[in-house]
Amino acid sequence: MYNPYQYVPGSSLVHKLDPRTKIITVIAFSLVIMQVKLISLLAAAAFIVLCSQLSRIPAARLLNTLRPVMPFFIFLFIIYIFFTAGTPLISLGPVQITSEGLAMGVLQVGKFILLVLAASVLTISTSATTLTMGLERLLRPINKLGGSSYDIAMMVTLALRFLPTLLEEMNNINEAQLSRNSNLSSLGLKGKIRSIVYLSLPLTLNFLRCCDELADAMEARCYRHGVRTFLYELHLTPMDYYLIIMVIITTVLCLIYL
Amino acid sequence: MISVRNLNFSYADDQMILQDINLEIEDGQYVAVIGANGSGKTTLIRHFNALLRPASGDVLVNGLSTRYVKSHPEIRRMIGMIFQNPDNQMVGMTVEEDVAFGPGNLGLSSAEIRKRVDEALEKVGLSEYKTRPPHTLSGGQKQLLAIAGVLAMDSRFIVLDEPTSSLDPESRFIVLEQLKQLNQEGIGIIHVTHNMDELANAHRVLVLEKGKLAADGAPGDIFRRVEWLRDLGLAPPKITELIWYLRQKGFDIREGLFSIQQAGDEIISLMNAHRLKAVNM
Repeated sequence: MYNPYQYVPGSSLVHKLDPRTKIITVIAFSLVIMQVKLISLLAAAAFIVLCSQLSRIPAARLLNTLRPVMPFFIFLFIIYIFFTAGTPLISLGPVQITSEGLAMGVLQVGKFILLVLAASVLTISTSATTLTMGLERLLRPINKLGGSSYDIAMMVTLALRFLPTLLEEMNNINEAQLSRNSNLSSLGLKGKIRSIVYLSLPLTLNFLRCCDELADAMEARCYRHGVRTFLYELHLTPMDYYLIIMVIITTVLCLIYL
Repeated sequence: MISVRNLNFSYADDQMILQDINLEIEDGQYVAVIGANGSGKTTLIRHFNALLRPASGDVLVNGLSTRYVKSHPEIRRMIGMIFQNPDNQMVGMTVEEDVAFGPGNLGLSSAEIRKRVDEALEKVGLSEYKTRPPHTLSGGQKQLLAIAGVLAMDSRFIVLDEPTSSLDPESRFIVLEQLKQLNQEGIGIIHVTHNMDELANAHRVLVLEKGKLAADGAPGDIFRRVEWLRDLGLAPPKITELIWYLRQKGFDIREGLFSIQQAGDEIISLMNAHRLKAVNM
């Protein structure tokens, strides 16, 4: 299955950055972008172009990440151009497109497109393992509040680890049902809904059993609530520190002056 | 050393799953646990690493009782466990991270984890798959990966619950050979199976029947009792069965053989003896 957001190994500057730096940048970017106007949107776009150039991710690959979310963007755009009050630009019977609506539509959809691209640069340039570790390190402060960053990281890891297993299981069940001629999806909408039930019920049961076994296996391998160590450790380079400070200063300035 | 003293266990009050089990397993022993379905094999071995705790009696691992939660990490480090379904015991996004899970839980430094992971993967021959996602491995390789995960914790024993039941014959052979080799290096093996042909490497066989320890002895002594095993719903190893049939037919063959090599040698020497007899007549 093709996943446009999947990690592509590389040796670019962005690939080599500590995941924490990248996560902080994406969070900061998403804070700032909510404040931007039409003109500063161009600056934000320029920033994303810069990042993608530095990460040496092919433009086509990066733009592919917009495809799955495109219907949502189109929907959003339509809502904005038709349902914003202001000076009419074109009238189509009872509905009219306003110039304010058009500006609003371009701005809002532009924001979302840039957000998706920013997050995609992060996931394409960072392996799932490193990303989880970065997340874990950033969440460490919650350990002092009684939470567990290790547990959260473990949950993310397990979710990612078991996704392919779950898909395989789903295919098995589907094939087992097809081989017994239960082609419900050809029976129209009602059949389609029932086929979902027939698929999800055994899948859920199997998965619960799988979780049970997994819990035993983890316990048998000394998993417990508390501190863990990892095969890889993260190290912030001077470059990371420099970037993080830059990002924070820029973000604060943007939030104040935009 | 694992000592089990007067172990009783039940999930519900009315039905005892394990009754009055007493046994000791020395370090480095290769022990096979056999029994029909529902005889309590899995329940018994889950007491060894404190996944289950006795209703009464004690299980001691190197003197540490499984009763106390405090000693569980150390007990589980010493007694590694491999489960039946390889898919549901892998937790890492890559092969090396999966092996690193146990040592990471022990809180070792990342340099030490690296060393152990590399050694363990080298030992089971999976070094070249280090960075692969574990679900892309074959069934046999997945079980080898699980074994590497245990080795990285520096365990004294590996407890395996029907580790080969979902494997093809070739993978099965590879896993069994791996176990044999690890045992020769001094790691104790506790192997639950219902395939009697897998027991050629065992020093000792425990037979469970309805939650009781029905027999405990050398494989030769256990497998000699072909009819008794059949009554328990267990098929003796095919070689043992062959010898048993030959004896029933009146051939003077030694009992208690269960490896193909031994049986072959025995049959050939019997044939030679017959030939000599024929020449002398």
